[in-house]
Amino acid sequence: MAVSTIYSTQALNSTHFLTSSSSSKQVFLYRRQPQTNRRFNTLITCSQETIVIGLAADSGCGKSTFMRRLTSVFGGAAKPPKGGNPDSNTLISDTTTVICLDDYHSLDRYGRKEQKVTALDPRANDFDLMYEQVKALKSGVAVEKPIYNHVTGLLDAPELIQPPKILVIEGLHPMFDERVRDLLDFSIYLDISNEVKFAWKIQRDMAERGHSLESIKASIEARKPDFDAFIDPQKQYADAVIEVLPTQLIPDDNEGKVLRVRLIMKEGVKYFSPVYLFDEGSTISWIPCGRKLTCSYPGIKFNYEPDSYFDHEVSVLEMDGQFDRLDELIYVESHLSNLSTKFYGEVTQQMLKHADFPGSNNGTGLFQTIVGLKIRDLYEQLIANKATARAEAKA
Amino acid sequence: MTTIAASGLSVATPRVVVVPTVRVSAPVRLNYPWKLGSMNRMVVVVKATSEGGISDKVEKSIQEAKETCADDPVSGECVAAWDEVEELSAAASHARDKKKAGGSDPLEEYCNDNPETDECRTYDN
Repeated sequence: MAVSTIYSTQALNSTHFLTSSSSSKQVFLYRRQPQTNRRFNTLITCSQETIVIGLAADSGCGKSTFMRRLTSVFGGAAKPPKGGNPDSNTLISDTTTVICLDDYHSLDRYGRKEQKVTALDPRANDFDLMYEQVKALKSGVAVEKPIYNHVTGLLDAPELIQPPKILVIEGLHPMFDERVRDLLDFSIYLDISNEVKFAWKIQRDMAERGHSLESIKASIEARKPDFDAFIDPQKQYADAVIEVLPTQLIPDDNEGKVLRVRLIMKEGVKYFSPVYLFDEGSTISWIPCGRKLTCSYPGIKFNYEPDSYFDHEVSVLEMDGQFDRLDELIYVESHLSNLSTKFYGEVTQQMLKHADFPGSNNGTGLFQTIVGLKIRDLYEQLIANKATARAEAKA
Repeated sequence: MTTIAASGLSVATPRVVVVPTVRVSAPVRLNYPWKLGSMNRMVVVVKATSEGGISDKVEKSIQEAKETCADDPVSGECVAAWDEVEELSAAASHARDKKKAGGSDPLEEYCNDNPETDECRTYDN
């Protein structure tokens, strides 16, 4: 939300034009009034608060389901920038801009082949530029961000990004560089276990000509060392980790259809209150299916407990199984606490709104939606806080 | 004034200066003579990447990766080659999803992504 003060003064010869001085965040509007002979200078001072969210995910950028759910919670739909490069990775909605960190590759595909590094390697990314631009956007300055074209593998001409209310940086290294990490107001790490990753990649790539089980396996294995060395360690810095594991409800399941998803929430993060089940800080195991609710195989199982994760205090909410029907969803929602919903049933509504998205019937969709609501809550608290601080400073 | 303006145009305000952006040898006949000053030509550049192109790239990259890795499975080249395969596979899958979603009706495609906009609202009763 922008706080603006408008001043009107007399002006000399002027026509329609707009200048902005980025350092003082002032906008000068010169307008000629056709009705009257007086001409006005309108000076508008705006200060916009931008919050920065980091999302570490291995699955490519921007168009991922998590992003779509997140932007949907804030309202409005995120689209690629109009009239720009059609292969742009950026998504823009009224409140949110999602930037793909692949755009900060310092080496394009050919450069990486030459240098024999993967995209996961920090040597292939320009962290200085990433830091400068995220800092600029956070302080309300527009930037010319490069575009990494995933189709051609080259770096295209930069595009202009305006500072949004909510900036989401999604990619492989949002928390890798310490300076960028300090700019983040909230960070999320999407941790997919190896078995699930393999199952998902099989589903994604088997339809592709040329791929076979061996090539998919080889691809995952080859990237594993770099992944474990550079990407995985970011887990410890995340405020929320969504862990996706194979289900424990079906013995020897290797299809990856039923999932066990754990939402690991760091305690003591400002403006972030973890979701809990029944009683905060206690250990609960809950199977909602029974007399009041009938579920089909394999059912649903919830777990909630406090834990320690990389020497941090965390609360872990876990869901194993999948939803079959709407009333299962609403039943579960009514028993969870601290969801940061604005009305009863908001989580269910959001899940149903995107029922065709992958993960809509299991913990991935549920926890992604909940994290989205938490981020909205964090944003509103931050804005309210800054507004009161400004009001106090003025008084 | 220019020759075009001399053909009897009545200009709204006397201070408008018509600068012709197009020099024509023959007399220009327009339906809207007052729009002369804004005769801009919009050039639309359509970058269409065919889905077949990406699939071919994926296939080629897999073959290359297999060849590179046949010599030395742990070298940097091998790892970089498989990383390229992964990147291209992801791009191919995105392209496939986009094609599947947007093939039929542009309105459908837009409404899938933005169900709350005015054009896409549905009323059940």
